[in-house]
Amino acid sequence: MGLLLAVAGVAAVSRHSLTMRRFSRLESLDFPLLVVLSVAFFALVIAGVVRQASPDWGPIQERFRGVLEENGQLRAARAFTPGIRQLWLPELGRVDRCITCHLGYEWAGTLPATLPAPLAPHPPLPYLDAHPFTRFGCTVCHGGQGFAVTIRDAHGDVEHWDDPLLDRRIAARNGLTQSELMQLRCNGCHRREETTPGMETIAQAKELFRKNKCLVCHVVDGRGGVKAPELTFIGDQDPELFDFTHVTGPHTAFNWHVQHVTHADVVSPGTAMPDFDFPAEEGRALALLLLSWRRVDFPPSYLPGPSAVTAGEAPARQPVSPPVIAGAEAGREVFVTRGCNSCHGVGSGTVIGPDLKGVGGRRDERWLRSWLADPAAVIRATPDFQKWPAEYGNIVMPNQNLSTAEIDELISYLAKL
Amino acid sequence: MSLREYLRQRWRAMTWSWAPETELEASDAIVRNLWLHWFPNKVTLRSASWSYSLWLGTAAASLFVILLVTGMLLMFFYVPSVQTAYWSMKDIRFAVHFGFLLRNQHRWAAHLMVGVTFVHMARVFYTGAYRGARALNWLVGIVLLLTTLLLSFTGYLLPWDQLAYWAVTVGTNIAREAPLVGTTLRFLLLGGNEIGQATLLRFYVLHVFVLPAILLILFAYHMWRVRKDGGLAAAEPLRRSRRLTPTAPSPSKTYSIFGVRPGATLQTLATTHVEETDVAFSSPELTRRLTLVFLLVFNVTLLLSIMFDAPLEEAANPNLTPNPAKAPWYFLWLQELVASTTIRLGHVTISGGFIGGILIPGILLLLAAAWPFLDRSANSTEGVWWPRERLLQNLVFTAVAVAIVALIIVSLYFRGPSWGFYWPWQAWPPSPATL
Repeated sequence: MGLLLAVAGVAAVSRHSLTMRRFSRLESLDFPLLVVLSVAFFALVIAGVVRQASPDWGPIQERFRGVLEENGQLRAARAFTPGIRQLWLPELGRVDRCITCHLGYEWAGTLPATLPAPLAPHPPLPYLDAHPFTRFGCTVCHGGQGFAVTIRDAHGDVEHWDDPLLDRRIAARNGLTQSELMQLRCNGCHRREETTPGMETIAQAKELFRKNKCLVCHVVDGRGGVKAPELTFIGDQDPELFDFTHVTGPHTAFNWHVQHVTHADVVSPGTAMPDFDFPAEEGRALALLLLSWRRVDFPPSYLPGPSAVTAGEAPARQPVSPPVIAGAEAGREVFVTRGCNSCHGVGSGTVIGPDLKGVGGRRDERWLRSWLADPAAVIRATPDFQKWPAEYGNIVMPNQNLSTAEIDELISYLAKL
Repeated sequence: MSLREYLRQRWRAMTWSWAPETELEASDAIVRNLWLHWFPNKVTLRSASWSYSLWLGTAAASLFVILLVTGMLLMFFYVPSVQTAYWSMKDIRFAVHFGFLLRNQHRWAAHLMVGVTFVHMARVFYTGAYRGARALNWLVGIVLLLTTLLLSFTGYLLPWDQLAYWAVTVGTNIAREAPLVGTTLRFLLLGGNEIGQATLLRFYVLHVFVLPAILLILFAYHMWRVRKDGGLAAAEPLRRSRRLTPTAPSPSKTYSIFGVRPGATLQTLATTHVEETDVAFSSPELTRRLTLVFLLVFNVTLLLSIMFDAPLEEAANPNLTPNPAKAPWYFLWLQELVASTTIRLGHVTISGGFIGGILIPGILLLLAAAWPFLDRSANSTEGVWWPRERLLQNLVFTAVAVAIVALIIVSLYFRGPSWGFYWPWQAWPPSPATL
């Protein structure tokens, strides 16, 4: 190449000296410029071709051919042609080019499981039969950027890609194991099942969600209370929309959820949500569950059948309509708007909290006033009460931050019940 | 016949369909050839020099050629649908052979074309090359600049990522501030009240057919006017310095619609007011430099394309506004004007959209269009760089251009979330992630 260029250069220079007379009338910069620009052009074209011809996957594919040969797969090694490979999933609108490098994925049993990372076969997990590669691809479960074919872009931990590969590093960053983290993806489709094999952490979170009666206030899938934010697709909420003022540690939606489910009143001061004080592990499981609730627009044939779906997590429940009492309409208004009727019935028995029928006779005004102002303080100040919340599912009445005027209205209403 | 002569003849027979026998036939052949006829037979040395025109118009035209070729190739891969547009961009970047190069070159050439066209306009202003008969071509040039901006803007939406979606949202929201027609204009452009499939299709058709066609037609007219106006204004000082001597009417025939009219030609002034020493043949002097400029421009776009990948952000999400949402860079000075003329008094906000988005650019545009007719400086300033007599107006033009560039730089590099001021080295508040 260099020789060719040199010959061309000499030829051009000799030609140049012949035609110099014609050129000389304009600045004679033109000729050296032509040489420089032409050489630059050739160099740039070569650079472009080199960039196109040296993909990240080149050496990896070459290594895989060697691995096939070493393991006696001579025919496969001969038939192996380099190039981009992909799982095209038109029904899911996905193209997963991961297998351009992760070449051993379907060679379980033939190639040793001890092969290094990109070439190793996919572990033969029990639920793989229900999720064949050709139907589900890779990114549905693992995350990552299926379209990309460079290592950094494909693993998706890059700017402007929201769905990174759920690898060990991200799991560790969030105090989870990789298998725990990946259950987040499983539950996208398996959200209506009580327990699913391999999804133990999510199952634990679902149990916590039931036990703590979250549906008393929150709506999920059209079921539950009306006072708290709907959680059906809470996993889709953009992290920018969370308020991190009172969150310690990394500003991630996961961390926000962990701290919020554990100490709601710390993260969102003045919230009506009780402080559940979960152990860290349970908080993480719940946060995982919340993040897993995302909009999944897969065709029905991809979703688990109805047989696998467990019946409702909690009975559909309408808030009790409290009686109208003449002269205390304003108090009833506060009772409804502040959501007291989510937990308290009047003459209909215990819902979550005690029935309030005749509460005016059982409690005097001073007690009611201090209770409504700060229930937790009353419980702390009254030793008898320490064991009392157990009667009501361990749910302490949240502090609703009522104003004095609202307390006045409420008391005049409660007194007449 | 020597072997060398034989080979020469064979080669000629293969590559030439016809060879001129006389000088007249040769010059006639050049006149008949569209590509060779693009230029006059001869040009003044000053017109062909690097230093007078800086060859900016040629550079802009070269960029347009690059854009046409890369754009046509990209059309084979791009799908103008809101569901697939973004993913076809990913395919172009990752799976199409040399797709990264195609897209990068198209992107960088588009940005460069906007800049080069503007600098070309500045050169024409500084040399007073818009005067007299050239005023019309100045107006055509302004329309060409606007068409270039629109081409770039319509192309900006096509990747259908967050950058595209919100830049076009900001851009078309500014358009809404136009009095009387603003809302209708925006509705027509978007094909609705919000950016959606209709918008993408409209922008696509505008981008790949309507605007390039307008640009091509106007460009052809622009070049034709240059010829009709007597070449570049660079020749004017020369023309003025030569005294034109009336020559005797030449005894030739003039053709009228009624037949041959005996007498003189209409030409009564000598056309040879330019000496042989002042001119050079267009071919090869001009064509060679054209090649050089094209080569330079091509190399620059190629270098940029190999080194820097065109941005592609997350897929467009109408429910999630990035903070800050910035217009394309050439409209950023308008956005900065809108932001800084928006006055907040307590809870009352007076939108600066009209002042910054319509009034100021409108006045600037009108002034630019009217300037050839307002400029009263002497004819001797025509075709001269920075003449003393036009010092003031050149300074004012420079001040406006510098202000625009400064506003663009401020909004591009110094504006962070909520349009707050950030130094380029100052970190923005961290943006939260999911995991």
